[in-house]
Amino acid sequence: MKIKNSKFGLIALFVIFLSLVYSCEENNLPEIGSVEDLTPPEANFSATANKGDWQTIEFSNQSVSATTFAWEFGDGNSSTDKEPFNKYAAEGTYNVTLTASDNNGVTSKFTSSVDVVKPAVVVIPDPKLINADFVKTAKSSGSDCACSGWINKSLGDQGESSSGNGSDVVKFDNNEPDHIYQEFEVTPNADYTITIITQFKPSAGGTYASQLNMRILAGSGYTSGYTPVYYTATDAFPQDGYGYASIAQVEDATNNLLNETLNNPGDDSYLSNTYTFNAGNNTSVAFFMRGVGGDSSVGNFGYTSGDEEIRLDSVTITAN
Amino acid sequence: MKQIKTILLILVITVFYSSCEDSFLSPELETGINADNYFKNDAEIEAGVLNIYDGIQGVNQLQITNNNFNHGVQVEFYLTEMRSDNTETKSNEGEAAQFEFFNVEATNGLVDDYYRSYYNVIFRANLVLENLGTASATKSPVFEGEAKFLRAYSYFNLVRLFGDVPLVDKLISPLDKQTAFTRVASTQIYDLIVSDLQTAISNLDDNGPNDRGSKAAAEGILAKVYLTLGRYSEAQTLLESIMNPSRGFALESNFKDVFYNEGNDEVLFAIGFLPDSRLNSQSFSAEWLNAVGRTSGVNYASLDAKTVLDANGGNRTQYSYREDQAQAGKYQVVKYLPDGDTNLGIAPTSADPRSAGNDWVVLRYADILLMHVEAIMAGGASTTSTNAISSFQKVRDRAGLTTAVTSISEDELLLERRVELAFENHRFFDLLRFGKAQDVFSAYSAANGLGYSSTDLLLPIPQREINIGNGQLSQNPGY
Repeated sequence: MKIKNSKFGLIALFVIFLSLVYSCEENNLPEIGSVEDLTPPEANFSATANKGDWQTIEFSNQSVSATTFAWEFGDGNSSTDKEPFNKYAAEGTYNVTLTASDNNGVTSKFTSSVDVVKPAVVVIPDPKLINADFVKTAKSSGSDCACSGWINKSLGDQGESSSGNGSDVVKFDNNEPDHIYQEFEVTPNADYTITIITQFKPSAGGTYASQLNMRILAGSGYTSGYTPVYYTATDAFPQDGYGYASIAQVEDATNNLLNETLNNPGDDSYLSNTYTFNAGNNTSVAFFMRGVGGDSSVGNFGYTSGDEEIRLDSVTITAN
Repeated sequence: MKQIKTILLILVITVFYSSCEDSFLSPELETGINADNYFKNDAEIEAGVLNIYDGIQGVNQLQITNNNFNHGVQVEFYLTEMRSDNTETKSNEGEAAQFEFFNVEATNGLVDDYYRSYYNVIFRANLVLENLGTASATKSPVFEGEAKFLRAYSYFNLVRLFGDVPLVDKLISPLDKQTAFTRVASTQIYDLIVSDLQTAISNLDDNGPNDRGSKAAAEGILAKVYLTLGRYSEAQTLLESIMNPSRGFALESNFKDVFYNEGNDEVLFAIGFLPDSRLNSQSFSAEWLNAVGRTSGVNYASLDAKTVLDANGGNRTQYSYREDQAQAGKYQVVKYLPDGDTNLGIAPTSADPRSAGNDWVVLRYADILLMHVEAIMAGGASTTSTNAISSFQKVRDRAGLTTAVTSISEDELLLERRVELAFENHRFFDLLRFGKAQDVFSAYSAANGLGYSSTDLLLPIPQREINIGNGQLSQNPGY
């Protein structure tokens, strides 16, 4: 009986326990006057690198309906600020987690990866000129020339092969419309220095004194639709029908980033002259040089060199 | 008799028939002007174009005191300059002070005023654009250019202030809630801005007064749009087009004359106002004084701005701020005084300071030169380009700061813009464009106990707009 009783008691206890559980569930119904939480927190953020310090990432908190925040920055650091920043020790991709909570204890998690990248150091390269020492070498057609790589027959006759200063040089012959022209790549708005080594023959004392005209022509003035090609072999360069198409375009001041005219220095040794130009809003420019000072009614281009030969040993262009 | 009966019958039928026509019940309005019978010739369409400028101009609330009118550009300083480190209210209280504390509420009436003003401007522009069919072949492109210039200018401000916004590029009916309340990605808004400005550039010239849209104004605004979008080379091309000497723009030699010699060569575009005119004057000049307008004084220079101007302004400083004669330790903006300043040699611009005639300068050549530097810097940390330095030096030389500059950092450019263009509603947009807003405002907020967080970089969509949007219009985060 005792045992039975105790069994009965256990059963009774179990029933009571069950009903307790049941009644607990009943009590889970919302209280009178309570409303459903329609605005649970929603975690969200964006990240940007500090402009002065690439290792420091600034977080913009765009969470909705949240009051407290817990950040894990993915490098072991954490924060409970609303809008923290974190300094990362090294480059890499980090998973950042934001846990946003409201005052009901409801939480929302948002994870996003953040790339920490060291910005590339901008180095402005020196332009690459081909055959800038004017060595007599192969053209795409015709005989070898010191002017190989430097011909645009819409702008003048080709420069001539000669020698001087211990090497091959290019010559702007007297009373001829000789020219050189080559396009090269530049960094927009960078400043460059040009050094040319030239020689004028002694003055002939006539009406027409030779002058050397040098221009840097903006890529914005190329014939419409033309995309420059930077050849590396002298025999690959075209000799006409590209880039600048007429002397009128060359002489249009809006196309000139540099326009310098040298007079005969009265010293027939090879002399060095230095100039600077700014590339402006161009990724490509052209170097153009010709002899002027002669009778402009002669020849097909509206210009000729004067009575003295002029020689050019080299052109060097470097970024400042 | 039979004949008479037949005639009667015909008459009866005729009367019956004509009574069935639409016009009997809704006759054409012949005496008044309305949208159906207006815009029939160049003169009427030009009136429509002027109506767009009128919308930007807004109503002088000191003359026409109904708050429900739109105040257009006259309230812009609240949303821009006062939401930056440049200015604040004199008394640091009221709805206007929400901006300086970075605690703008969605119910802020000034935000609402600006938003509805500029959508109204866009409506006025669309109205012109839809009536171009009756314009003459010579005038039609000009009207189109001006309307699109002004529509783009409006959208450029809205998209920078509010982020994604509804895109309304035609006349819509009140029932078209889809268009009116659907926020469109800002990239699409920028597509419209760019194409509108490109049309304006090709259709307009520079021959008109500087309070009308022009080729140069459209090029300048488009350059700023391109800078905002990181399209630096395209911006540079436009700026160099404006800088070509043949265009005739130049810095005024005396900084003061930019603001007090209207119609000068430095200003590319201004919103025009007429002194002592009930309908065409402005009230913001009065509001910036001590209790001359409806406020006790707003848009006062912050101590931060004063310190920066003192150190870096050169001869611009005295024409940028002055101490309030009635309240020591408070500083007023000098650039748009309605009642003059004898110490500074500035004559009053109107008999009644509450109906001021000072034009609002939107775009001027100093801004063009500094944007040119920005385009060359192209998002980099600094530049030594001689092209950039030449433009930068011109602005500094005019300010009497003639020491030769050899390189320009991003912070130096931002600083130069701040002191040159102080109180002209550029500061907020500049910080945003340079990606420096977060840094600068966090530090400024921490130092002055303000409530800045990154979601303050976008204003709230006005609550009124959200309410009538029937749940279609979403709010920006943080509001």
